[in-house]
Amino acid sequence: MTIMLTAPVLARGQELITIPGKRGMLVHNDRPEDLETPLEYFNTWITPNDVFFVRQHLPRPKTDEATHRISLSGRVTKEMEFSVADLNKLPQYTVAATLECTGDARRFFRPRVPGVQWGRGAIGNAEWSGPRLSDVLKLAGGDTNAAWVTVNGADVGVAKTPDFIRSMRMEKALHPATLLALKMNGEPLPDLHGFPVRLVVPGWDGTGWVKWVTSLNVANEPDRGFFMNPAYRMPKHPVAPGGSANPTDLDVIEAMPVKSYITSPADQDRIGLTPATLRGIAWAGEQRVYRVEVSTDGGRHWQDAQLSPKNLPFAWRLWSLQWTPPQTGYFTVLSRATDSAGNVQPIAATWNPSGYLYNAIDQVGVTVEKGA
Amino acid sequence: MKPARASAVVAVLFAGCAWGMDPQSAERGKQEEQRACLPCHSLRLIESQRLSVAAWGKELDKMERWGAVIKDRQLLLDYLAQQYPDTKPTPQPERSGDGTKIPAEAH
Repeated sequence: MTIMLTAPVLARGQELITIPGKRGMLVHNDRPEDLETPLEYFNTWITPNDVFFVRQHLPRPKTDEATHRISLSGRVTKEMEFSVADLNKLPQYTVAATLECTGDARRFFRPRVPGVQWGRGAIGNAEWSGPRLSDVLKLAGGDTNAAWVTVNGADVGVAKTPDFIRSMRMEKALHPATLLALKMNGEPLPDLHGFPVRLVVPGWDGTGWVKWVTSLNVANEPDRGFFMNPAYRMPKHPVAPGGSANPTDLDVIEAMPVKSYITSPADQDRIGLTPATLRGIAWAGEQRVYRVEVSTDGGRHWQDAQLSPKNLPFAWRLWSLQWTPPQTGYFTVLSRATDSAGNVQPIAATWNPSGYLYNAIDQVGVTVEKGA
Repeated sequence: MKPARASAVVAVLFAGCAWGMDPQSAERGKQEEQRACLPCHSLRLIESQRLSVAAWGKELDKMERWGAVIKDRQLLLDYLAQQYPDTKPTPQPERSGDGTKIPAEAH
């Protein structure tokens, strides 16, 4: 039997893929789109929308600003529906926050784990604008003693794939920086980023930042669907690499851990025997970035990098260090961030079966040669 | 072509198609992959991964629970495990072209 397929079958390297609205991206999946930001775009504090990474579990829904509604239900004094115009009438706030996919850098885990094989680019920093989620909950008389708010978007499962539904603790839902964002870097949210409205949960893993939001449900219990359990959970206690986790010994992932990347030079680059600027990014979930140390000799010696001036919770900082290579040859460059609570990036990331929260000290190899 | 050289060519083709899988089985495996997986997502999502046989088996279990209709599970498992094993390096993803000039209607 032959099945007619509506989508083109593209073999690797045969045809150049272009993604409407995006400059050149690293394509992990083109249907639905899972797109990684190339490292060279991490040289600005704001990541432009047209290079911002994209992670989708399910096909992108078609949404219409005029007819789009967000329903409020569950433990509320009155069930309500909000249009985009309603959301625009509420006080608008802007929060700078780094959005990182829970599986960012998954490709570095050994043994390897299934899932999108992200390198260093499932992350970006943007200014998000819209009403506070807490203001919307208040208008419906949401019971703030309820423990959870469950959020669904317009995307739906294909075949028997579960719907993408997430719950967050009431405390985070009421946080003043938690927004129903209508804008990203001053522009209406692009389709791929949740047009017309997405949740912004600063400091927490990207999974909670539900796109194309259509419903908010105030409840005493979290949603029981796949994307709350067992997905997007970490073993409470480390498991041996390659092993499996006990399903009853898993915690929901919330705040992202402290982390840094070296963005220039790239791994295995060749550079000349002249003064160079080492560059990178560092972020720390709900904390602030306190310090970034860099080593150019595999960790024998460390130097403090210079940090970009904005020192905010939720948003990353760019770091840089001037370096004059002492001679030609191969150098192992490391970066290590410390957050405002004193947490330091570990030497080894915590291996887990789904490859979440990779945050080991970053490492690139650089060859210094004359005339490069 | 001399027989010795012909067999060398065959051996190279054989190794190039799939590790230890004959070309016809590899082709049938590819067809089963396309038939079972493409209704929901692109093949890049699969072919960018390098997993052990056990891990590929778990992925097939998950996808069957999620509605994938796999007709020849053993063929597909052999194909994935031999074509995309965890002994090979994870490939670098391909880079897309500039899509910023494409009008929104093209979505």
